[in-house]
Amino acid sequence: MRILTHNYLQSNVKGTEKGYPLLIEPNRVVVEESPVNLSMLQTLLPKLDYSAIVQAARQLATYEDANEAFTVPDLPDLLPETLDDLFLTALYKFLFDLHVIEGHLVCPDTGRKFPIKEGVPNMILHEDEL
Amino acid sequence: MSRPELTGHASLFYNEKEARKYDSSSRMIGVQREITERAVELLRLDDSKPSLVLDIGCGSGLSGQVLEERGHVWLGCDVSRDMLTVAKEHEEDTKVLQSTGDLMHHDMGSGLPFRPATFDACISISALQWLCYSNSAAQNPRKRLTRFFSSLYTVLKRGGRAVLQFYPETAEQAVLISETATKVGFAGGVVVDYPNSAKAKKHYLVLSFDRSLAPRRGALGTAEQDQKQQHVTVGEALGSNKGKKQPPRKKKGIKTKEWILHKKDAQRTKGKDVRPDTKYTARRRRGKF
Ligand SMILES: C[S@@+](CC[C@H](N)C(=O)[O-])C[C@H]1O[C@@H](n2cnc3c(N)ncnc32)[C@H](O)[C@@H]1O
Repeated sequence: MRILTHNYLQSNVKGTEKGYPLLIEPNRVVVEESPVNLSMLQTLLPKLDYSAIVQAARQLATYEDANEAFTVPDLPDLLPETLDDLFLTALYKFLFDLHVIEGHLVCPDTGRKFPIKEGVPNMILHEDEL
Repeated sequence: MSRPELTGHASLFYNEKEARKYDSSSRMIGVQREITERAVELLRLDDSKPSLVLDIGCGSGLSGQVLEERGHVWLGCDVSRDMLTVAKEHEEDTKVLQSTGDLMHHDMGSGLPFRPATFDACISISALQWLCYSNSAAQNPRKRLTRFFSSLYTVLKRGGRAVLQFYPETAEQAVLISETATKVGFAGGVVVDYPNSAKAKKHYLVLSFDRSLAPRRGALGTAEQDQKQQHVTVGEALGSNKGKKQPPRKKKGIKTKEWILHKKDAQRTKGKDVRPDTKYTARRRRGKF
């Protein structure tokens, strides 16, 4: 699961008020470099929730893995007014190249945990959770 | 034609064996690609800039691949873990291409778990008919379709489109599907390709927010006809919803201005598009002539 995808996901389990953003509890994270595409990022940016990106960065920063070297960008609390290429590149890499392979997403309202297995978050709800 | 939908839950039908068989059949790959290309054409996406597209029932990623080649970013969801595993393997094979897709495991019948107004567009290829069947006593097709469409309405950007190709078993199913979509607020209808060929015939439900495309209401006069017109136009080959006259329900005195303003506010916070409040809000309309 990319951090980009995390930005769109919302919990809709019964009893949820907003269900957003989901907390990330990573157990395994890998980096897969991809060609940086800033124009793609710029078209997506207006629809991204920047504060959820910042929150995700904070949660991932606490995760450390000796085998996998990755850096979580140090993002300012608010989206800067002028976006230089350096900032955009760091943001792109964080959103597209980091993949949470194992772990959980947690609904902020109900605490319901959604497992991430082999890179795929499982958002399936039971009939009585609807 | 055999109907896998009748055999039980999709995640049981699309097991590991079936997922691999599906994904390695060159006939299947060709057919799914052709359908997806047609669906993307009906979406009218601007291919010169990337769009964010949701692929519902993405399976092994055959449909996503077409989106990918056109430079779009896509998110696929599917209820079969085995199909997703095959899709994941593709992603790994094509590392050079750097997939713009991502995957999640989800049942569309329980509503889509995304923040409001997220996706520029949505496609679904050969999956929607599964919602017409229930796999347990607790599953009600009508409810699942409603939950699915109203969540789709919420997660699509205003101005976005959804194109869903599906295989109705009967004309009633096609009507049920398109009616449910209109009931939650969508405009649009079903496009039928190759209507005269039993084998090649394809149904595409094309949905948008563009109310001007919806059948004009009230044009025929009485309230009853009014109601009948609310369902979208389904290709001629499909029957109409005959004999289902619902008498217009009348409840007195609840639709006060405060009630309507409150209701509109509530809808707004759910991310629905709601007309602005004006001095005309909740005024009575003149009688029709
Ligand atoms: C015929 S395959 C099509 C796959 C892909 N769209 C393609 O064109 O190759 C139908 C897919 O719909 C999925 N499906 C069925 N019911 C579903 C549901 N309720 N929610 C999500 N996916 C579902 C199945 O698991 C299967 O992968």
